Amino acid sequence: MSAVISARNLSKRYGKSVAVDNISFEIPAGRIIGLIGPNGSGKTTTLKAALGLIPFEGELKVLGLDPRTHRDELMENVCFIADVAVLPRWIRVSEAVDFVAGVHPKFDRKKAERYLANTKLKPSMKVKEMSKGMIVQLHLALVMAIDAKLLVLDEPTLGLDILYRKQFYQNLLEDYFDEEKTIIVTTHQVEEIEHILTDLMFIREGRITLSASMDEISERFVEVMVPAENVTAAKALNPIDERQVFGKSVMLFDGVPRAQVAALGETRNVGVADLFVAKMKGTYA
Amino acid sequence: MNTMKWLVKREFWEHKGGFFWTPLVVGSIIALGTAASAITGLVMKSKHGMNINGQQVTNLSGVIEPEQHAQIVNAISQGYIAAAAPLFMVMAVVIFFFCLGTLFDERKDRSVLFWKSLPVSDGETVLSKLAMALVAAPLITLAFGIITSILVLLIAVISGATTGLNLAGVFANPATYLAPFKILAVLPVYLVWALPTAGWLMMVSAWARTKVFLWAVGVPLLTAGLLAWFDAMFDFNWDIEWFFKNIVLRGLLSLVPGAWFGFVDPPGGMHIDDNHSFDFTVLVVQSWKTLAYAHAWIGAAVGAGMIYAATRLRRWKDEG
Repeated sequence: MSAVISARNLSKRYGKSVAVDNISFEIPAGRIIGLIGPNGSGKTTTLKAALGLIPFEGELKVLGLDPRTHRDELMENVCFIADVAVLPRWIRVSEAVDFVAGVHPKFDRKKAERYLANTKLKPSMKVKEMSKGMIVQLHLALVMAIDAKLLVLDEPTLGLDILYRKQFYQNLLEDYFDEEKTIIVTTHQVEEIEHILTDLMFIREGRITLSASMDEISERFVEVMVPAENVTAAKALNPIDERQVFGKSVMLFDGVPRAQVAALGETRNVGVADLFVAKMKGTYA
Repeated sequence: MNTMKWLVKREFWEHKGGFFWTPLVVGSIIALGTAASAITGLVMKSKHGMNINGQQVTNLSGVIEPEQHAQIVNAISQGYIAAAAPLFMVMAVVIFFFCLGTLFDERKDRSVLFWKSLPVSDGETVLSKLAMALVAAPLITLAFGIITSILVLLIAVISGATTGLNLAGVFANPATYLAPFKILAVLPVYLVWALPTAGWLMMVSAWARTKVFLWAVGVPLLTAGLLAWFDAMFDFNWDIEWFFKNIVLRGLLSLVPGAWFGFVDPPGGMHIDDNHSFDFTVLVVQSWKTLAYAHAWIGAAVGAGMIYAATRLRRWKDEG
């Protein structure tokens, strides 16, 4: 199976500032990739380039097509939610379903209606009468009913309460995702999605600083609670991060064999959030 | 899969207020206004009688010569459709603001990100908006215009009957039934002439970051003003009047139905025929004659170019 997205030397400049700095990556099919980075790191710009929304330099293929020249074709197999609440305020639930059914060859109307039946949305409701959470439900109902190969979600749950957020990802995982589909998601609420991700990509100042599967990450990175007497020995192994918890040092190691660090203290798998903080240190400094 | 149909439908849903309720309300006002004045007339007549040529009469039968009567019937058959005119004037205003807002508002509320997530090209989208403005809107307006005109006609016939003037002849006159088709026949001419204004407004709509009205209207006026000022300052002897009429007014006012007669003057003119009634056939013929002028097609070509520019702008404009 060829890559869903492959980028080579992808760059995007806005005047003098570089938003995406010569990055290369490949995303295989059947994955859920978390694209994680601080504000202004180039996440959205990368996704916009892949969706054919902006011009860019370098080579970028999405499902084998150049998004600059084959955007219309591409959109039959690519779906995206860019930002929350971009549904037009005047549209009714029934109109939104009718319209997407009318223009999208891969839209399954029954599926959308089934999903909507589980929400409080009524066909005659207008978007402007809905809460932000309901708007996202409607958008998700439309998107999930489209049998696309690639789904791009850019901060899809920003500003929603925890109930909506949990439900959003649960629906996505249970009713949408399968080995034929690929989902790319950016979010600041990393902890909430880490259990559904298969791959992780960190981006910082327009460059990819980490790209690995979740399995690789739990192999590579290990966190150790180091008692005071072992601190010097532990520091000799070059931890990439160190913080204090209840008087103990918690150190994060990259690529040090587990057996070796296990001797220094209690080990555990690192959370994506902690890994993110360690990797992004000094971003705003 | 009929994408264009759904795209135009979607425009109609969004702008139902302008394209449906506005002509409905204006048409109702015309019909009700006509009815009210007819009733007022009846009340006045029953109180004071009518005064025709200094004669006090209460009933018109017998007062009017048969020849005059035929003329009146014919004039009404030919001209009743003019009751739709205010609807078309209002339509021009609605289309103006539709074109000005259509590619701007979707960027402002970011809904463009939703529309662009569907497999619909920018070309299709922009064309559907143009079709809404210059094809669907005139057809809807015409439909309401016909209903309004028929109501006005019925009111005239009924109030005629109460004064003893039998106007039932209008229903036997083929002109009555042809009148709506004459207006329909002018719509293609409208499409050609209206293109530059629709194109200009949509291009600005796709381009401006803010204050879209100021850009669309202010820039042409300011340009004309500056040119006039330079001309006066340095004695360039430019034809400012030509510029103002053929660029500025042509660009901004071509959405007004019939505006074409302000730019070209085909031979024949809009004369009133010997029966003292205005025949809309003349309007159709004279309107179509304007398409023989390069003026019409240069404008249309410029308009098409600006529509294309609007498409490119929608495709590539990055709001960040």
